Amino acid sequence: MMEYLKYAGILLGLIIIQKTAVSFIDVTEFRITPDLVIIGLVYVGIKKGKITGSAAGFAAGLILDIFSFSFIGLMALSKTIAGFASGFFNNEQKEERYLNSYIFIIIVSICSIINNTVYYVFYFQGTNLVFLDILIRYVLPTTVYTALFSVIPVIFARRRRFAR
Amino acid sequence: MKILLSYLGNLKEYIIFSALIVISLLLIFQNDNVQIRFVRVIAVNVIGTIQDGFSIIPNIFELERENKSLRETNIDLSKELSMLKEAKLENLRLNQMLEFKQRTNYRVATGKIIGKTLIQTRNNITINIGENDSVKIGMPVITDRGLVGKIVATSGNYSIAQILLNKDLKVSAKDQRSRVDGIIAWDGEGKIRMKNVSKSADVKVGDLLITSEYSNSFPAGIPIGFVTTDNTLDNLFKNIEVECFVNFQTVEEVFVLKFLSEDERKDLEKKYNEKSK
Repeated sequence: MMEYLKYAGILLGLIIIQKTAVSFIDVTEFRITPDLVIIGLVYVGIKKGKITGSAAGFAAGLILDIFSFSFIGLMALSKTIAGFASGFFNNEQKEERYLNSYIFIIIVSICSIINNTVYYVFYFQGTNLVFLDILIRYVLPTTVYTALFSVIPVIFARRRRFAR
Repeated sequence: MKILLSYLGNLKEYIIFSALIVISLLLIFQNDNVQIRFVRVIAVNVIGTIQDGFSIIPNIFELERENKSLRETNIDLSKELSMLKEAKLENLRLNQMLEFKQRTNYRVATGKIIGKTLIQTRNNITINIGENDSVKIGMPVITDRGLVGKIVATSGNYSIAQILLNKDLKVSAKDQRSRVDGIIAWDGEGKIRMKNVSKSADVKVGDLLITSEYSNSFPAGIPIGFVTTDNTLDNLFKNIEVECFVNFQTVEEVFVLKFLSEDERKDLEKKYNEKSK
């Protein structure tokens, strides 16, 4: 139970940072920001599996939707799928390896690309943007930016590991 | 059951995932922005295409419902058709009666038969017109085809008429071709006969019989029927069987002719008969 509260706390903290501080570090003319919540979500997915990953994704996404005041359900959908995808990497033997190495960055990138594709494809429906535009302008930059930020927990984890 | 539960247990992750996806989609579709409208259009197209593909598979419950609905419609339409047929036949009958009404020299009252007896020796019909329509006892009842009978009882709104299939009704008639006279009466056993016609009289099968001017009750010239059988009954009279023009089984509307024999004639004939006695 405490473990779940810890994950909830991590996600809640990331959501607060995402909705407050992250907008100050946007890049490109399309105001691309990293998705910190997906990093926390991948962490939860790897640790606890598909069910917890998708449930955490849904809850986190719904909170983000509520704070966005616009497109209720869309972030919940994309984060649920991403959380479920991260659950595929839940493996007790490989858990440490996944979390403490560049593999974590790859997993974050995979989940982020899934999350961003679902989110932006829905988000830009009815506009003149074609899928390739969406992919180049929004999905890939966000994924790369998020992947860059996913280096931070890996570094922390490695340091902690070496400290032990 | 155990296997099923175990199978469902293995699918637990996917079931929960699907449920969350469905909830997310439901939340998304609660929005009413441009994107959702666009997605809805796409969804409708996709669902329409899928349904179109599945529509070749018959849905038993839907077919049953459709069948029931069609049966109900069929019953309604049958009722309507029956009513329309009835209305058409009534229209034809009324048209014929109207033509007759315009042709005849007498004033007539149109009535509908509301009661009929045809299986007794004294058969009558009840008509839905009476004294309020100036119908009086003794008035002839006819149709556009010919003679039906005579009014024998009246009330305010109804009247009863003896018909030709009544032993008490005797009609003075004549052969339209040869002008031979006779009395038309029902024998009570299913045949209408022309009586009092001598053996030598010129009456042939197919001859038209009409009311005679000798009749006190009916104006002359009303068609009654035609001769179907003509043979010698005994040494004196012919046995003439008559087929009426009016079909008493099917007749529905009649006219009452506003005709009464003249009182002067009645009085004279009465006086003469009393003197003769």
